[in-house]
Formats: sequence, structure tokens, C-alpha cells
Amino acid sequence: MTALRPILLADDNPRDAELALAAMEEQHIAEKVVVCRDGAEVLDYLYCRGAFADREHGNPVVLFLDLKMPKVDGLEVLRTIKNDMKLKPIPVVMLTSSREERDLAKSYALGANAYVVKPVEFHQFIAAVKELGVFWAVINESPPEGPGPIE
Amino acid sequence: MESVTQDNPAAPAPVRSEPEPDSSSASAPKTGWLIEWFTHWSIERRVLAGFGLVFAGIVVISAISYRNTAVLIENSRLDTKSHELVQLLGSVREALSAAESGHRRYLVTGDESYLKSYRTVVEQMPQYLQYLRDLTNEGAEQRERVATLEQLIARQLGAEAGAIAKREKQGYEGVRGLALSGAAKDEIEAIYRLMAELDMAEQRALQARVAQSAESTRYTIALLGLGALLQLVLLASVYFLIHHDVAERRRVAAELQSRGELLQAANKELESFSYSVSHDLRAPLRHIDGYAALLSKAAGETLDDKARRYLETISGSAKQMGQLIDDLLVFSRMGRQDMLRTTVNLDQLVKTVLHDLRLDLQGRTISWTMNPLPNVSGDPAMLRQVFINLISNALKFTATRPEAKIEVGVAKRSPSEVEIFVRDNGVGFDMQYVNKLFGVFQRLHRNDEFEGTGIGLANVRRIIHRHGGRTWAEGALDQGATFYFSLPLARSPK
Repeated sequence: MTALRPILLADDNPRDAELALAAMEEQHIAEKVVVCRDGAEVLDYLYCRGAFADREHGNPVVLFLDLKMPKVDGLEVLRTIKNDMKLKPIPVVMLTSSREERDLAKSYALGANAYVVKPVEFHQFIAAVKELGVFWAVINESPPEGPGPIE
Repeated sequence: MESVTQDNPAAPAPVRSEPEPDSSSASAPKTGWLIEWFTHWSIERRVLAGFGLVFAGIVVISAISYRNTAVLIENSRLDTKSHELVQLLGSVREALSAAESGHRRYLVTGDESYLKSYRTVVEQMPQYLQYLRDLTNEGAEQRERVATLEQLIARQLGAEAGAIAKREKQGYEGVRGLALSGAAKDEIEAIYRLMAELDMAEQRALQARVAQSAESTRYTIALLGLGALLQLVLLASVYFLIHHDVAERRRVAAELQSRGELLQAANKELESFSYSVSHDLRAPLRHIDGYAALLSKAAGETLDDKARRYLETISGSAKQMGQLIDDLLVFSRMGRQDMLRTTVNLDQLVKTVLHDLRLDLQGRTISWTMNPLPNVSGDPAMLRQVFINLISNALKFTATRPEAKIEVGVAKRSPSEVEIFVRDNGVGFDMQYVNKLFGVFQRLHRNDEFEGTGIGLANVRRIIHRHGGRTWAEGALDQGATFYFSLPLARSPK
């Protein structure tokens, strides 16, 4: 079940996205990755609207979210997700260049599930993305589909 | 060298011109010296001196006024006495004349009832005389006159008493001669003359005193006016000073606030700058390294050694720049971060630092000399960074030595401050570059000799400065280096 659900990667930088995909390719999980180029696209995907109007319904297994993105930035996307009962269970991993304390604090305050700083060194980056992909897409038990028990 | 020789001929000129003002000012040395002395005073001293002068003036005026008022009171007391004396003289004159006419009537008529008023006067006279003496006890002349008057009165009354006795024994015939002229005709005249003198003298004294009082009153009023003026001056200058001070304070407060706002804005700008540095500058570096790695993976087989070395260089440079950016961000954060102020046990701190650096110690022969360190006041995390940087520097620059010698200890200690040193026997440095040591990204060694970004000592300096201390270094090429820093001591004794 879980293996079929996609990984959502939100990064405005196509090179970062490509490098992340290259890392996930090695783990053979790249084909399940959906790449969004800004925050608005992420929300379109999650709410099945716009370009994603006729996608198969259901939440992604994990969302890798960049902080700094055009249109709607990462923190805004995070806030929307964590305020929506249907989207709230999605694990959100902040994947960003920023090591600033206030970004860390804000992200966790808004309910981020993890915060990872992209290493400059490619080997470290590969290792980080690989581990993240494997952990969230394979090892971690995802929340059940559909609305939670609270509703 | 050339510029020095050009400067030399110009130098003696002012020396020669110096004696001139000296000789001209010799004519008025005193005032010049005084003015110079005064202008050397601080504003506070001048204000204090001014206030002292005005205050002394007020004190003198008050003293003089008090003395004048005392004189006025004394004069008024004497005036009362004089008036009483004049009045008393009138009464005495009246009484004496009543006695005289009474005794004469008796001499003529032999009627005893005329003697009644005479006897009353004789009875009262000692009281009158005592009163007279009391009123004239302060002036020698008047006292003498009163003494003479007393004798004359005694004689008059005696003569009259004698005449009365004669009339009783011998009848009218015995005193016929006396009955018309009176028994003490000469004395009476002398008495009246003396009393007129007494009266005149007293009136004169009275007038003199009135004049003196009037003058003294005018003088006092003038002085009090001056005093009031001085007080006004004092009050006005106090008001002016307070007003000036308050205005100055307000101005400074406003300026401080506006500067604070500017500083805050600048700080915000710096923060967003470092934020964008950390976020945006690192992304391209990641891509350079990432694509170089992808390239070497995709085309690894077809590349020759030279091309592979180029790719490695690209990766290495990207990594190095990433390290530089990270270091710079740490440096910037060290300047902005809030600082703790607690008592820090440096002995304990150095122990944990050595524990953290244990990986760098592997395979090295190091002789440590760890002298006891005091407790200081500061931020433990920042001070830890200081020791990490200095000790890892010492480790790095002794790497070429068969036996590294590293010493940590106290160089000097005062009641409020301690100077700590970290010494090594490493490659050292040339003292002519000592000023560059603590600069950001300043390095005295080539990258292929000793690696590093050149930010460690800049961080040390920044941290120590924020603690209110100083940093400096001593060294010689190939003979080791000693790095010093000072820190405020913890208040509680160790």
C-alpha cells in the first residue's frame, strides 16, 4: 500500500530537485517522486486542483519542503497543511539551505516533522536525501488514508 | 626616507618663534596666569566658584544687615530712655518749683497746709533721683550733671527745711527776708540751669541717634536690595543651568533613541543579509559540487587523470567556499548573539575542550602544561569557542614538530582582570605580521602548509572584545607562538 503512494518534493530550484532525484534514483524510489516548483503548486497538488485536478486522490507519503520558494513560501505551505484536518497527518520534512535559528524555531512551531539542512558537499547531500527517502517512504509507518478518527 | 629629510628644515621654525610670545607676555604675567588658570577649570568648577562667590556675597550682606538692625534696636532703646529722661526732668522741675512755692507761702502765712506739698516732694525726691540716675547711667557727662543736680537739690531742700524750722521758732519776723525771695534762691537758679543743660544734651544725643538710625536704615535697605538682586541672580543661574541640563538630557535621549533605531534597522538589514548569504550562496555551491560528482560518475570511465583532477579541484573549491560561508556566518552570529554572564570555571572548560579535540590528538606526541586557571565572568559557550580555536590552532601549527609542547596558564592577574595565555612550540610567525593575525580571513600560512579559513582568531577577538577584554600575540618565526587574552574575573572569590 505505502509503496504506491508518491513522495512530494517541493523545490523552486530545478538543479536541487535534479540532484535530489539523482540521489533517490540510487535507492530506486525516484519514480514515485512528484516535483513541485513553488508553494502554490504544492497546494494545488494537495487539494487536487489546477494542473493536478485529475490526479489520483490521496495524500503523499511524505513532503520534502523547501523554505524559500516563489508565490507561496515553505512556511506558508506548512501552516496551511497543519491547519487542515485532512492534510495534517502528512509528514513534512523541511529540506533547506538555511541554518538560521528562527527558521528552525518557526518550522517546528508550525508542526514540521523534521528539519534537514542541505549539505554543500554532494556526497553528504546524496547520503542525507537517500536516508530521508528510505526512512519516510519505506521504514516509517504512514498515517492511514482518508480523514482521521477525530472528524 | 626622502620625505623625512624634507620635513626636517620645517621643524625648527616653530621652535624659534616660541620665545617671542614669552617676552611680550612678560609685561602682564599676573593676569595672564590667572586667566589661564581659570580657563583650565572644568565647567563644574567654574559654576561652583560662581555660586560660592554669590553665596559669600549674600552671607556678608546678611551679616551687615543683622548688625545694622541690632544698632537700630539699641538706638530705639536709648531713644525711649531719652524721652523718659526729658519727661522726668519736667516732673522734677515741677516738683521742685511746687516745693519752693509751698515753703514760701508757709513762711509768709504760717499756714501748715502749704507744707503738705513741700513734704510730699521731699518724700518723693529720693525716688526721682534714683530714677534719674538709672536713666543717665550710660553717659559720663550726664551722670556727672545728675550728681551735681543731686547735691544742689539736697542743698535747696536743706535750706528750705532750715527756713521752715526758723519760721516755726521765731515766727514771721525771723524769716521776713527769706519769705519774699525764698530760702534757696541761688540753688534754684543753678538747678534750673543744670536741668536745661541735661535736657539739651539729651535732645542732641537723641537727634544724633535719629540721624544715625535713618542712615543705617537707608544703608540696610540698599544692602538688602543688593542681596535680593544677588539671590535673583543665583536663582536665575540655577534655573538656567537646570533648564540647560534638562534640554541637553532630552536632546541626548532623543539622539540615543534615533541612533538605537538606526542601529536596529542596520542590524535587521545585516540579519537579512546573512540569511540570504546562508540560503542563496550555498545553493550554487551545492550544484557545482553535485554536478561535478554526477559528471565524474557518468563519464568516469572515459576521463583521463588530468580531467579527473580538474573535477576534483572543482569539488574541492566548492567545498572550501561552503566552509568559508559557514565560518563567516558563525562569525557574524558571534557578534549579534545575546551574551550570557555567568561564572565560568575555566579549568573545567579546558578539560571539556581537550575531550572534544581528542580526535585531533590521535597519533600525536604532545606534552601538555595545564596551569590552574581562575573563574571568570562570561558566556560559557563563547569562551569554550575561544579555547577550542586557540588550542586547535596550537595543535595545527605544531603538527610538524616531533614533540608538540602546549602550555595554558595565567600571565598576569589584577583584582578585576586576568590575562591568560596559550603557548606552543610550533612554526610561530613573524612579528611584523602580528596585526594581521586577528583579522577576518587573514592567514599567515599557505593553504597547502596548514589548512583553515582564517576565521578562528577573528572569532576569538570578537568574543573577547564582547567580554570587555583584549587579545594580543607574541611569536617568532619557527620558534612558537603565544596567544594572550584578558577577561574580567568573576566577582565571587574562588
